[in-house]
Amino acid sequence: MLGFAARRLAFAVASVAAVVVITFLLVHAAPGEPMLGTADRTFASPDVIARQRALFGLDRPLPVQFIRYAGNLVRGELGTSFVLHRPVSSILAEALPHTLLLGGTALVASLLLGLAVGALQAARHRSRTDTLLGAATLVFYSVPVFWLGLMLLLVFGEQLHWLPVSGMRSAALEDGSALARALDVARHLVLPAASLALVQAAAFARFQRSALVESLAGEHIRAARAKGLPERTVLLKHALRGALAPTITLAGLSVPYFLAGSVLVESIFGWPGLGRVAYDAIFARDYNVITAVALVSGVLVAAGNLLADVAVALADPRVRLER
Amino acid sequence: MLFAAAAVLAGCARRPATPGAPVVIATTGDADVLLPPVTSVTTGINVSDLLFCRLAELKLGLNTVDDSGFRPVLARSWDHPDSLTIVFHLDPRARWQDGVPVRAADVAYTFAVYRDPAVNAPLAPFLAAIDSVVARDSLTVAFRFRRWYPEQLYDATYHMRILPRHLLDTIPPARLGAAPFGRAPVGDGPYRFVRWTAGSEIVLAADTTWFLGRPGIARLVWRVTPELATAVSTLLAGEADAMEVIPARGQLERVQHDTTVRLVPYPSPFYAAIVFNLRRPPFGDRDVRRAIAMAVDRPTVVQSVFGPFAQVAAGATGPMQWIWSDAIRQLAFDTAAAARALEARGWRRGGSGAWRSARGAPLAFTLLVPTSSGVRQQAAVLLQDELKRFGVDMRIQPLEFTVMERRTQTGDFDAAFISRTIDPSPASLLQWWSPGASDNIGRYADTTFASLTSAALRARTRAEAAPLWREALGRLNEEAPAIFLFSPRNNAAVSTRLENVTIRPDSWLATVTTWRVRETGSGARGRHTGQP
Amino acid sequence: MSPWRAAARRFGRNRAAVVGAALVGALVLASLLGPLVTPDPLAQPDPVRLQDRPPSAAHLFGTDPYSRDVLSRTLSGARVSLVVGVGAALLAVTLGAGVGLVAGLAGRRTDQLLMRGVDVALALPRIILLLAVFAVWERVPPVAVLCVIAATGWFQTSRIVRAAVLSLREADFVVAARALGAGGAGLVRRHLLPHVAAPVIVSASLDVGNIILLEAGLSYLGLGVRPPTPTWGNMIMDGKDVLFSAPWVALAPGCALVLTVVAFNLAGDGLRDAFDPKVA
Repeated sequence: MLGFAARRLAFAVASVAAVVVITFLLVHAAPGEPMLGTADRTFASPDVIARQRALFGLDRPLPVQFIRYAGNLVRGELGTSFVLHRPVSSILAEALPHTLLLGGTALVASLLLGLAVGALQAARHRSRTDTLLGAATLVFYSVPVFWLGLMLLLVFGEQLHWLPVSGMRSAALEDGSALARALDVARHLVLPAASLALVQAAAFARFQRSALVESLAGEHIRAARAKGLPERTVLLKHALRGALAPTITLAGLSVPYFLAGSVLVESIFGWPGLGRVAYDAIFARDYNVITAVALVSGVLVAAGNLLADVAVALADPRVRLER
Repeated sequence: MLFAAAAVLAGCARRPATPGAPVVIATTGDADVLLPPVTSVTTGINVSDLLFCRLAELKLGLNTVDDSGFRPVLARSWDHPDSLTIVFHLDPRARWQDGVPVRAADVAYTFAVYRDPAVNAPLAPFLAAIDSVVARDSLTVAFRFRRWYPEQLYDATYHMRILPRHLLDTIPPARLGAAPFGRAPVGDGPYRFVRWTAGSEIVLAADTTWFLGRPGIARLVWRVTPELATAVSTLLAGEADAMEVIPARGQLERVQHDTTVRLVPYPSPFYAAIVFNLRRPPFGDRDVRRAIAMAVDRPTVVQSVFGPFAQVAAGATGPMQWIWSDAIRQLAFDTAAAARALEARGWRRGGSGAWRSARGAPLAFTLLVPTSSGVRQQAAVLLQDELKRFGVDMRIQPLEFTVMERRTQTGDFDAAFISRTIDPSPASLLQWWSPGASDNIGRYADTTFASLTSAALRARTRAEAAPLWREALGRLNEEAPAIFLFSPRNNAAVSTRLENVTIRPDSWLATVTTWRVRETGSGARGRHTGQP
Repeated sequence: MSPWRAAARRFGRNRAAVVGAALVGALVLASLLGPLVTPDPLAQPDPVRLQDRPPSAAHLFGTDPYSRDVLSRTLSGARVSLVVGVGAALLAVTLGAGVGLVAGLAGRRTDQLLMRGVDVALALPRIILLLAVFAVWERVPPVAVLCVIAATGWFQTSRIVRAAVLSLREADFVVAARALGAGGAGLVRRHLLPHVAAPVIVSASLDVGNIILLEAGLSYLGLGVRPPTPTWGNMIMDGKDVLFSAPWVALAPGCALVLTVVAFNLAGDGLRDAFDPKVA
């Protein structure tokens, strides 16, 4: 088992390194001047821009730049943002927890909802409930997450005014109690997390349904039924237990989806997380921030994949011996 | 689900609008850093403008030439002992927010920082005419200029915001932008820095003991909402009280229909123009450029795209500048004259109505338009149509802003639809239209224009300078290195809760210390979501 | 009855699958014929007065902020989504099948090399790479979007195909056929491909929906195919600025997206059930 985990870890490291190299090369090959940033910036004359490029070492040849970057990376330095003038690591340190909060909440919500719906469908296999839920999961599975976010914003934010339309906090709640502030963040979390969670919940439900239906038809389930155990026990104890490892796998493999989703959803809802940082950095051509975000994403995805692989290996010993 | 329901319900309880509740400004972009020489983004500039003071401020009239156009801030008074020197006497009451008094050494230090190549301040070139800044004693500082010109006071005061030497001089200049000070600044202005939550909000509190009087609004909060439509929504819902500009027509209509927010119009510091690249044929030929300019009905295009929300540009200037006038000579919309001009240069109309040169080349070019500007894209489409009817084939190429900037700076374009930000001083014209200026992207070089502007720069009074500037602008219109299209009328949106709101076009919060919050009742806040 | 025939019959009996397939057909027809009957999606006959008009008789889905007819743009956008979706899925599957076949049939060294590469590639966050690639490009033609998406999406297929090939290599009938002197190519064509085809077809058809959503996400961010060429994603991008004053601008392309992806998923589910009736 340990050897297996070690091998997967090696792959994870290799893939993170590949991400960093590829992103660095692509980003530096981009047309468009990083020093000019967005249309929002004040005018800067070409001399100023040229000097800025020199100060950041952007006028050196590409391999030289990459070696410098890699060297810094090994020392834990992620560079400085061209736009914000501050260390990239501090930008990420501020933004990452917000994205983890949003993504984590969405992941948990989607798992709970998705697995419950999938189990219900499997239990009521081929009934009306199954068909209706199946249609619902199909639709939500097919919805683009950014459009869902915009629609939720339109309906619940703007039209009904039930939930705040933007940000993570209300402006004037600075001296409220801790509970009031936490509830405030929770209110702001509902719409963006729902956008992310509903789509992924549908994916989980679809998977869970077919996995459970298959396992419910299996031998040992029939044996349990033959023993006269109530259906609910059969479902909970036997079928679901077999679905635990795949659930962890699903959760691990859904990390890329939540990362991609956060880039889209955080901008719509003004959530100050990593996705928004990435979005702004791409348009401002803020090289150091883009490569750092790619690095962090690569690490998160690799961690998710590692978790998924370990879960699969724990459940199915044959996998560990794969050459 | 239950959790979500509880969260929703908790927020629905109404909280009464408390007096002293902060005034919230909705903005779509966060600040970059709060340090005047380095700050380049709109929100960053707006916030640092309230934290750091100038020696003197322009009054609302934006008269950059006469001393009477300025009012004292950090400098209580000033005099001109000779034609190359201005001596400022600092107000002894001025203090940094850590208690240390503002001293002449701060001014000298600030000048050194702005001019330091390691800091690479974008505003450094504007200080080129200042030779030295010397502290004569703790409250007296002397500016020495390289030559005499009437806007010396403007250059001495407008570009620099004074920095605290005692807090910054130990930081190497190259590291100033990255220093923690830029994220938690200590200033001397009417507002104190309280907190900056990256990507979310910036909070400032009024300095009640500020030496020039207590600001009318106790707390200012900039709330960052990246989506424009959502930002306007927060305004209409009462979660925000003010917004610098409502750009798009659709959004303007939303605000106009709302009774809790009113629009405050003011001239914008922009003009938009289609700049020709004179290095690319046929734009090297003045008559071809003039013909294209005369073939365009500017008033109709501007009216169609903007309605009442923009004016036709009288030239390379905007209504904000004191040189703006209806008297500036402009090319009239005259397709017959345009046709004659082309024919005189050997162009002939083909069968389809399209112009062809003597050698048979069509009159065709590509116009670069930034995707960041919806109005410029719309205007471009209308112009394309007009030119097509005249027989000129203009193709539109929408580009991302940074990509377009690169193309224009490397000279890789036929024509570009650019927008220029102007300063209150007409001297800013020279950056873009002087021969040899690095931002003269079209490479327009005209000695007549150069001599007219030099004369204008040397004129002693505004009355003398104005006609010379207008003459120069007229010349620019006639030579047509660009088609000067429009200058938008900005509309700020301000909650009815705010009173005594005036807006200085070059810096919309310049007079915020005189704004007041109406004390009566509920106002707009808490109307929909129960938030105070 | 051949396994293909049996699968086709199962598919035909599955109502949802048939609906899905019919819907896909209808969408393809609409995208081909639609632009012939509706106004030009790039036309701006009256750039200002026709801005953000709500749905009316003249403009069934209303107009957008640039005064263009939303219905015709939606139909035009269908072309990009369908071409990129189906094209990229086919290309990815071809690439993956090719690599998987080579890995499965070749010697141990080649196989190891290829599969290690695939393992690392599988761990790469696709969306990050796509974002980086498209942020680099000025104007991206739909074909380029198709190729790049395909190039980042063939890895899983190669694994599937390789596994199928490996398991078949040792199968009795293959050994027998080889003993009888049957050559490599014939072997591949007559015995391997049919076995491999089924999972590959199912995976490709289920992929189409995801690729369509991926392309939409990219063009929503302003990457990928840029305006004024309409794609559903960049139409939603235009629509979000007027979301509260002209919601139809974002509503139409969004509904079109959902409908299209649902159709492909229904058909894909149907195909999967048709080839593998165990799980229904």
